[in-house]
Amino acid sequence: MADMIQIEHLKKCFGDLCAVNDLSFRVKEGELFAFLGVNGAGKSTTINIICGQLKKDGGNVKICETDLDKEPDLIKRSLGVVFQGSVLDKDLTVKDNLESRAALYGIHGTKFKERLSELARLLDFEDLLRRPVGKLSGGQKRRIDIARALLHKPKILILDEPTTGLDPQTRTLLWGVVEKLRKQENLTVFLTTHYMEEAADADFVIILDHGKIAAEGTPLTLKNTYTGDFITLYGVSEDDIKKLGKPYERIRDAFRVSVPDTHAATELIIKNPDMFRDYEITKGKMDDVFLAVTGKSIGITGGEQ
Amino acid sequence: MNELFALTKRNTKLYFKDKGMFFSSLITPVILLVLYSTFLKKVYDDSFRSALLAAGADISDSVLNGCVGGQLVSSLLAVSCVTVAFCSNLLMIKDKTSGAIHDLTITPVRFGVLGFSYYLSTLFSTLIVSFCAALVSLLYLAVVGWYLTAADVALLILDVFLLTMFGTALSSCINFFLTTDGQASAVGTIVSAGYGFICGAYMPISNFGNGLKNVLSFLPGTYGTSLLRNHFLRGTFAEMKNQGFPNEVVEAIRESVDCNLEFFGTKVEIGAMYLIICASILLLIGIYITMNIIAGKKRK
Repeated sequence: MADMIQIEHLKKCFGDLCAVNDLSFRVKEGELFAFLGVNGAGKSTTINIICGQLKKDGGNVKICETDLDKEPDLIKRSLGVVFQGSVLDKDLTVKDNLESRAALYGIHGTKFKERLSELARLLDFEDLLRRPVGKLSGGQKRRIDIARALLHKPKILILDEPTTGLDPQTRTLLWGVVEKLRKQENLTVFLTTHYMEEAADADFVIILDHGKIAAEGTPLTLKNTYTGDFITLYGVSEDDIKKLGKPYERIRDAFRVSVPDTHAATELIIKNPDMFRDYEITKGKMDDVFLAVTGKSIGITGGEQ
Repeated sequence: MNELFALTKRNTKLYFKDKGMFFSSLITPVILLVLYSTFLKKVYDDSFRSALLAAGADISDSVLNGCVGGQLVSSLLAVSCVTVAFCSNLLMIKDKTSGAIHDLTITPVRFGVLGFSYYLSTLFSTLIVSFCAALVSLLYLAVVGWYLTAADVALLILDVFLLTMFGTALSSCINFFLTTDGQASAVGTIVSAGYGFICGAYMPISNFGNGLKNVLSFLPGTYGTSLLRNHFLRGTFAEMKNQGFPNEVVEAIRESVDCNLEFFGTKVEIGAMYLIICASILLLIGIYITMNIIAGKKRK
C-alpha cells in the first residue's frame, strides 16, 4: 500500500509553546487512521498544516507523494475536509453552498449537477437542496458538510471530530457512507475523534500528547501493550474472587477481574476450574489505552479529565 | 474566471440575504438625506441668500434651490458612496469570524482571486445603493430646481461610479486587517463620522486654513466631492450667469463650494481630478490584491 500522507519531523511552535514537536508518521492508502489526543495535543495544528492553512516551522509533509512546499494547490485537490463545526454559509441554500464550493475546484455546469445528484443520493439529502443550511438540524448539516468535502472526489478525507453532538442514527449513516467510500473508492480517512469506540475501528491509531506521539499502533497492539485483559465472572461470591488474589471490581451481577494478558487469564482459569463456570474474557478498551498512555481520560469535549 | 464569478455570486447573495448588512448600508444615505433636507437646507439657504444680498444680487427661488440642492446632494453622494462601501464590505470579516474562510482557502483558489471577489461583490452592492441615492438626489433636484443637462447627468453617474469604486477599494484595504465584528463596527463608525469632514462634504475645504487645505489636497476623496459639486452645480451657475450675475460673484460661489480645488496653489482641472481618482482606485486595488497574495504566501 502506498503512503498517502508522509510526515517527517514536523514542527510548529507558537512563541515558546511547541504545539507540534518532531512529529513523524505515515498514513497508508485506504486506511482508516485515527489521530487522538486531548484538546491542545496538536491535532488541529497538524491538520491545519496538512491542509495548507498554517505554515510549518520545520519538517516535511508529503501528500500522495507530493511535497506540500512545492505543490500546495495540487495537494488541496487531493484533500477533502470535514471541519469540527459546519463552516458552510448558513444563509445560502444547500445547493448554492455546494455550487459555490464546487466551482473552486473547477466543477460547474453539468459536471456539478451530476456530482450533486450522486452525493445527494449517497448522503440522502435530495429533499434538502433548496433549504438554507442555517435551518437544517445538526445531523442534516453534517451530511452536507461531508458532501462538500467529497465534491471534488478527494483521495484523502480528513474528518475532524465529525460525529461530536450527533444522534446515533446520523452517526451510523455517516460511518456507513465513509465505509462505503473506503470500500468502493479506496478512500483514505484521517480521523480525529473523542469517541474511543470510533477509534477502536481504525486500522491504525496515533495518540498525541503535547505535540508528540505518545503511542501508536493498531487498536489491538495498543490494547495489548497498554491495557490488560478483563475476566467477567458470574455466579460467584466476593470471597471466592478475593481468593484469586487479583484486582477486581464489582459490577451489577458479576465481578470484573483484571489480568495482565490473555495468557494470565488462561492460567487463572486452569488453576481454578470450579470457579470459572460462567465467564467472559475481554480486551481493555481504547478509553483504557488512552488513559494509560496520557494519564488523562478523554471526554466528549476533548478536555482533560 | 469561473472561480471569481462563483465567489462574487456567493458574496453578493450573502450580502442580500443578510438583512442587517443590507439595511445598515441603506440607512446612511437615508439619514443624510433627511438631515440635509430638514436641517442643513435652511442654513445653506439663508447663508446663500444673505451672501448674495450683501453682493447686491437678487436671485430667484428656483436658482437658489437648485444651487443649495446641488450642494446638498453632491455632499450626500460624496459621503454615502464611501461610507456605504464600508458598511457593505463586511463579508470578508464575517467569513473570518464564522470560519467560512477556512473552507474557501482549503480549495486551490488563489488568494488574489478570493480577495478580488470580495471587492467585486461589495462594488456591486454598493453601486446599487449609490445609484439609488443618486436617483433620489436627481428626483429631489427635479422638484426643487433642475438645471442639469444630459451630459451633466452622465458625468454624475460616472462620478458616482468612480467614487464607489474608490470607497470600495479603500474599505477593502482597511477591512482586510480586521478580524472581529467589533473592529468592523468601530471602523464603520469612525468613517461615517469623519469622512464627510475630510472630503469636504460637511464643510467646504475652502473654509479651512491653508495648512489643512494642503493636507486635505493629498486625499483623493476631496477630488471626488469636487467632481460631484462641479457637475451638480454647473447648470445652476450657467443659469446665474444667464440671469445677469457678475462673473466674479459666480466664481466666488464656485470657490466657496469647492468647485475649484488647488494643490499647493495650483488649480486642479477636472481632467486631473478624474486622473487622481482613477489612479487612486488602481493603486488601492493593487495594494489590496497584493496584501491578499502575501497573506496566502505566508500560510504556505
